Amino acid sequence: MSAVPASGWADWFSPTELVRFRRRHLVDRWIGRLVPIVFLVAIVPILDLIFWISQRALPTLTWTTLTTNPTGNAGGLYGPIVGTVDLLLLGLAIAVPLGIVSGLSSAIFLPFRWGEVVRGAGDLLVGLPSVILGYFGYFALVIYFGWGASLLAGGVTLGFFMFPYIARASDQAFSSVPPDLKDAALGAGARLRQYARRVAFPIALPQILSGIFLAAAIGIGETAPLLWTALFSSYPPTTLSQPTGYLTGLIWNYYDEPLTFGTEVTLAFQAAFLLIVIVVVMNVIVRLYAERSRKKLEGLYG
Amino acid sequence: MSSPLSPPEPPARPRFRWAQVPPLLAAAFPVALLIGIVVTLAVAGLGFGWLLNPSVNWNPSTGDPSQASFGILVFVVGSFVTALPALVLVLLLSLAIGAATALYLPRRVSLLLNGFVDLLAGIPSVVYGIWGFWIVAPVFGTTLNPWINTHLGFVPGLGGPVPSTGIGIPLAIFVLTLMALPLTAVLVRESLLAVPVAYREAGLALGATRYEVFRRILLPFARRRIGGAALLGFGRALGETVAVFMVIGDATKLPFNFFDLSFTVPGVLVGQFDSAFIQPNYLAALAQLGLVLLAFSLVINVGGRWLVGRVGRGGIAMPEAA
Repeated sequence: MSAVPASGWADWFSPTELVRFRRRHLVDRWIGRLVPIVFLVAIVPILDLIFWISQRALPTLTWTTLTTNPTGNAGGLYGPIVGTVDLLLLGLAIAVPLGIVSGLSSAIFLPFRWGEVVRGAGDLLVGLPSVILGYFGYFALVIYFGWGASLLAGGVTLGFFMFPYIARASDQAFSSVPPDLKDAALGAGARLRQYARRVAFPIALPQILSGIFLAAAIGIGETAPLLWTALFSSYPPTTLSQPTGYLTGLIWNYYDEPLTFGTEVTLAFQAAFLLIVIVVVMNVIVRLYAERSRKKLEGLYG
Repeated sequence: MSSPLSPPEPPARPRFRWAQVPPLLAAAFPVALLIGIVVTLAVAGLGFGWLLNPSVNWNPSTGDPSQASFGILVFVVGSFVTALPALVLVLLLSLAIGAATALYLPRRVSLLLNGFVDLLAGIPSVVYGIWGFWIVAPVFGTTLNPWINTHLGFVPGLGGPVPSTGIGIPLAIFVLTLMALPLTAVLVRESLLAVPVAYREAGLALGATRYEVFRRILLPFARRRIGGAALLGFGRALGETVAVFMVIGDATKLPFNFFDLSFTVPGVLVGQFDSAFIQPNYLAALAQLGLVLLAFSLVINVGGRWLVGRVGRGGIAMPEAA
């Protein structure tokens, strides 16, 4: 018995096929070399952005910049930094409990069909242009509820903005708890809410925390929801009913001032620099933390 | 008296408990918020009847408010002229990224490189705006746009005058591409990786090259979800507000050529709200335009989510949570 076909090798590996074979593999090799270059499209702009914004921001960034309020055409970033933190904390105070409980309900308590409705609504909220939320905050909270442009209205709007991210993340977290554990818990006589609190919650917690961090990182960089709800102010807020400054709003207000007029544009670049640092650090923390807790979980079930 | 052998009692109907109320309210909150947003915009926008018209005449602040005209064509054209090319670029890049991740690169390398793509999603919109306005715009204005103009000027739309500031449609497309890329790239990557490994291996074992596996196996298999990813990326590009406003030049006229200044729907929503405060019908017209954008965004997102589908319960929720 011979492996060679009766007609000889030439028949199923003819010269033309050999040419085609070589060409196919040549194409493949070149695509393999060229395709990874697309990553440059992401890497070059992000490095360029970080480099040039640092280059514009750092030479004059001092401790005084962080501790003085913006004035007419000079000053620092103190008011907007405090305002950003206040808005974020207020927003998280609303979005975190609401988001976690909403995700818990849609993943565990509600029948699948109703859970799908809640998840679908959450997805749509995530996909909404943020300027729509700014309009909603202005018409509903500032005007209809009569809160006026204030820390309260801005914080609540920001909370509504971050809420769907946290709700979706915690729904995912609760849903990805291995179903065996649910069967075991319920089989051992636990009630559903005992399972939720004692079994599912500790396992889902790292993923929920990642979601909260990501939502905060996205929320801190938002401009449009705050422009007319928190308005702007150069001074740190002292009550809930005052207009409040924030870093993104400072950039928005100052970015197109003439360079000769004062240091506003530099101030805007410094605000941008701070935002990048905050956001990148938060992203890195989330990534490392998620990786660590994933390994821990794998150890638990692996 | 029930003997141990008699069948167990049927479980009692679950009793209503007050403790169930807060979780149910929280669960209903996304739906309520969505409805609340729609109702709020409708109430704010429809007080003067329907104000928008499909013309190029956007002239809100005349001395006599009854003479104002709210033609939205300029903004709709501006939105599509920037979002569609951005979508094409984003889709091509995402496919290349997905192919590289699924077939060509070692796992570790692709994890690292994809980390950079995900990082693009974290940069705040307004930071893209100031970067585009001060740093990228001069490059477009002095180098890239004139180069395209001289070498490809014979193509309709690429000839004619080029503004030297670099602000305009090409810069908006560039910024939009960067901003819509992470979401689409993640979704395309996931959908290519979701193709069963056995299919991939079967293709390779039959002698197909990696490119052929991508072209003939992965792509047809993931086609539907890639379409959904493209739609969601398009929705993101259409809804992008602040950054585009800062780099597109905000001209209330139809663009003369590819390099001209333009304006988008979210751009006018964010850019002219301040001037509309004192003029009720202007404010109502903007709220109506917001309603139009909202409707558009809902349709696109429903379609996109439906195409992308879900992997079991939970599924793909957050673009950044890869």
